[in-house]
Parts: sequence; structure tokens; C-alpha cells
Amino acid sequence: MAQISFFSVALKNLKRKTFRTGVLVFAIALLVSLLIFAISFTVSVASSLKKSADRLGADLVVVPVGARGFAEEFLLESKNTSFYMPISIIEKVWEIEGIEALTYHTYLSSISGLCCDIMPTRIVAYNPKTDFIINPWLQESLGRPLQLGESIAGFGTSENLGLGLLDIEATIFDNRFKIVGVLEQTGTGLDHALFMTEDNLKNIIESGKSPLKKGEISIIFTKLKKGYDPDFVGRVLEGEIPEVDVVARSDMGEKFINTLADINKIFLLTTILASVLTTFLVWAIFSAIANERSKEIGIMRALGAKESHIVRLYLIEVLVLGLLGSIIGVLAGTYLSAMLAGSFSLLKNISAGLTVSQQSVIAMVGLLVGTTICVTGAMMPINRIKKMEPLLVIKEE
Amino acid sequence: MSFLHIENLTKTYTVDHETLMGVDNVSLSINRGEFLSIVGHSGSGKTTLVSIIGGILKPTAGRVLLEGVDICTLDDSKLSEFRAKRIGFMFQFASLLPILTAKENVLLPGIFNPGQITDNDNTARGLLEMVGIGEKLDSYPSQLSGGQQRRVAIARALLNNPDIILADEPTGDLDEETEAEIMHLLEEINKKQGVTIILITHNLGLAGKAQKKYRMSRGQLVDI
Repeated sequence: MAQISFFSVALKNLKRKTFRTGVLVFAIALLVSLLIFAISFTVSVASSLKKSADRLGADLVVVPVGARGFAEEFLLESKNTSFYMPISIIEKVWEIEGIEALTYHTYLSSISGLCCDIMPTRIVAYNPKTDFIINPWLQESLGRPLQLGESIAGFGTSENLGLGLLDIEATIFDNRFKIVGVLEQTGTGLDHALFMTEDNLKNIIESGKSPLKKGEISIIFTKLKKGYDPDFVGRVLEGEIPEVDVVARSDMGEKFINTLADINKIFLLTTILASVLTTFLVWAIFSAIANERSKEIGIMRALGAKESHIVRLYLIEVLVLGLLGSIIGVLAGTYLSAMLAGSFSLLKNISAGLTVSQQSVIAMVGLLVGTTICVTGAMMPINRIKKMEPLLVIKEE
Repeated sequence: MSFLHIENLTKTYTVDHETLMGVDNVSLSINRGEFLSIVGHSGSGKTTLVSIIGGILKPTAGRVLLEGVDICTLDDSKLSEFRAKRIGFMFQFASLLPILTAKENVLLPGIFNPGQITDNDNTARGLLEMVGIGEKLDSYPSQLSGGQQRRVAIARALLNNPDIILADEPTGDLDEETEAEIMHLLEEINKKQGVTIILITHNLGLAGKAQKKYRMSRGQLVDI
């Protein structure tokens, strides 16, 4: 038979009015799920942007003037966009002080409706000799460089194109390509592209079915020498080469970040309001509990309960409520985040998954906030309960 | 020195700027193992007096010395320990917690005084058997009669082997037969276990069963 303890008495107290307990748990769960959703949304967008920028491995990205937004859409959001500049710009970039390494990509969007072509997808042509972005990924997945007439699918592209098998052939702009593999997931917008070396572009241009002209590239990635400030070098680049815009790694996804800041404000306000309401609800319910059970508390005090025993008894009750509500809230919030992710274009177009450690931290924050709010709301009534004069409350009928 | 010595005890209340006298300069000496009754009308100060003796109310003036220690000077923590270890309370109403079974109600004081009771189940069973309701171990107060609830309250009062039982009209709303049974139980506890009992009642018949009898009137204690 179970022994009587503070915990068992607190649990019995909670079971005494299950509807009221349920309302409190539901309110806390609601608050925590809102909090979890808000944090998950913000963190997943922000960390995905950072991860994408970091995975690209470039300190500065150089794009045709006015194409910054397109470049970010291509690299971060997986959108089909085309933007080009003359390859001669590479020489001008090399002349800028502080550049250590440089490579470039040419982006193409295959068009639906062309006879025998694969479904519309994004094509990234790179220079295998200078590349420091695709080559490391290739090394991980394929273990060798791509040859002429070969391509490798990005992680997301393989899903979209239904590439379950390797070594299949695909037609792109009237050219046959052998798809020799699938890259690991990189967490960037390039997950949704098909990669090939730039040697293949000659045949594609000759087919006349792409907007690309000879001697054009889309984007230049640069690495800086140690000690050079990306923002400073970026400003110099834009000053020396008016035909280009420069994006530093830390500024990648600025459009997202600005939108995110506004969304955060809305989330913050909503969460604060919900927290205040929940705290008030807990306070109101525990005030009612204090009145209802005042005689019992007086009896317990007469039986030898110290003030600290009364606090402990009600604190256990509050903690169980807070933890139960928070756990339900964490589960509901996590589920909600996963389910609703597809409904938000901000999350849909970027690789917005959270890591296990990020999810764990968010869950811990949810548990902590839910429980703290519950304890905060109940503290004042609990303090009143413990100060009750035993004789007065015992005599109250 | 006597076991329990009450010295010039006074308790006043202020209600709407008016000072009311609860206990008026009461002095009393009680020996260990005595059975003492105090009779008086409602509002005469009986409950106030036993509440001060039991340490749940602070006097305005005077001292309550238990084996030489003035309990009125103890802080909340020490006073609670004193109540848990040395006092057993019985109230003038059903004072059981409705969410707890008879057994759990009996064991409740034990959680405030940990370590004293080692075998909870057997202790609770033994006490409930002693008061004659051993079979009601797992019954909730709502499933017990008024008399059975008082018996549980007696068992609970005895859990920590108290020196004193303060019984404030413990048979107030019971029928005569049950009242006699409860009184008999208290007498047995007093005789067999040597527990000092202070019984508050308005029933002169019950009060007459005690070794020492007092009357309270307007806060003052008179020997009868």
C-alpha cells in the first residue's frame, strides 16, 4: 500500500476537482505550445539562413547589380531565377585586395514543355578547378569529380524528380546527361538543384533553348585572406566594380531577417499577453483554492505542519500542474510547428528543420517558462495560505 | 513544578476598534496524566484557552510552560514541532481531510513529523483497531458516520504519542450513545496510556467524568 507523503496529498488535491485542474493544465499547455511554435519558427528560419550561408563557405557573394534578391532566393529559398553578368568581372574581382580564393556558378532553369526534357528544375554549372563549394559535397557523396555529360542531383531534387535509382539518363535542353548520384542534404537552397561542370554549358548554349549566352556567369563566391573585414572588402568591391552587388556572409538573407524581426515582435507580444493571462488564471484559481481549503490548512497547522510544509504541499501541486501543462504544451507546440511548417512560405522555401539539440533547448525553455508562470501565479495565494491563523480558519464554517 | 503550568494568561481581540476579552488572566497547573474538563457557554473563552495551550494561538500576555519551557516564546517552526510531537488535537467538528482515507487521515501528522513512525500501515491499523474501526481503514470520511469520524480523529491525535490531547467539544454533534462511546475511549486512553486530556464541553454530565473540573465564564476560569 502506498505511503502517505506530501506528493500523494498534492496529487489527491489535484484529482479533487478534475475539471478545474484540466482547465489550468490546458491554459498552460496552450501558452507553452504558442511559445514553442514561436521559438521553433524563429530559430528554424534564423538558423537555416545561417547554416545555408555557412555551408556555402564564401565570405562574400558577388552578383550582378540589382540581382541580390534573386541570388538570395536561389541560394536560400530554392526559387528558380536567372541572372547573369560577364565572366570578365572575375578579373576585376581578383584585383581587389584581400581576395584569397574565388569561384563562380552559372545558374539555369530548365523549362517545362520542351520535348523529352525532365520536369522543370534548377541547374548549377560550376568550375571544377576553382570550386570550393560543390567539390567538398561531391567528395562526400560521389568520391570523385563529375565528368562531361554527368550530373549529380541535389538532395531535394532527387525527391522531386523521383530519382530512386542511380545512373539514370535525363535530357536537359536537348542534351543527354547521366545522373550519377545524389548529394547529401546541405541545408541550402542548392539542395533543389542539379549540378554539372561548366564544360557542359557549351552544348546547352548551342542548343539555343536556354537564355544563357556565351561568356556569362551568375554569381562569384570569394574567400578572403585572414584579417580582412568582409564588410570593408565588400564596400571596396562595390565601389570599384559598379556592375556588381556584394553580399557578406553575415548579411545573407537580410530580407528574411527583417521579416523575421517583425514576426518576432508579434510573437513576443502574443506570448507576453498569453503569459499575463495564464498567470492571472493561476492566481485566481489558487486564490479560490486558498479560500476553499483554509479549514483543512488550519487543521494541518494544528497537527504540526510548519509554514514551509504548507508551502511545500501547494508548491508540489503547482509544479505538477505546471510540468504537466508544459509537457503537453511542448508536445503540442512541436507537433504544431511540424504540421504548420508547410503553410508558411518562409519555412516552405528554406531548409527549416531544427536539430535535435535545438529542439531539446526549445523544449527546456518551454518547460521552464510554463512551470515558472504557474509558480509565479500561485505564489501570492500560497503565501496567503501559509500565513493563515490556524484557529481562525478552523473556526470558520 | 507541574507538568503544564499556565500563568496569568490573557488574550484580547480588537474588533472594530473595540477590545474584547477572550481569556482573562487565567492561571492553572496540570499534572502529567490528569483528565481535566472545562465547561462554559459559547464565547466564554474555552476554545481560545485550549488553542493557546496547543500553540495555535499566541496570547496577549502570560505564559504557558510545558515542563518548564514557555511555548509562547517559540517561533513558528519550533511551535509546529511542539504541536506535532507533544499535542493531539480533536476539534468540535469533523476535522478529517475528505480526500484522504481513514488510514491516511490517521497518518497525516506523520508527514509533518518525519521519522517518528516507522511502520505506517501497522501503526494506522493498530490505532484504528484500538478506537474500534479497524475495518474502515480504506474508507473516506464521506463513507463514515459522525461517530466513526470522531474515532478516526482520536486515532490521528494519538499517532505521535502525544503528552496532551486537547479535545474541543469532540462529541458536539453526536447522539448520546456515540457520545458515551467516545468519552469511554478518551477515559481509556487517559488511564492506559497516561495521556493528559483537557476536554472542553458544554455538557456537565461529560465534564463530571474528569478528575478536575473547571468552568469558564467571560474569559475567567473557576474551579468547580
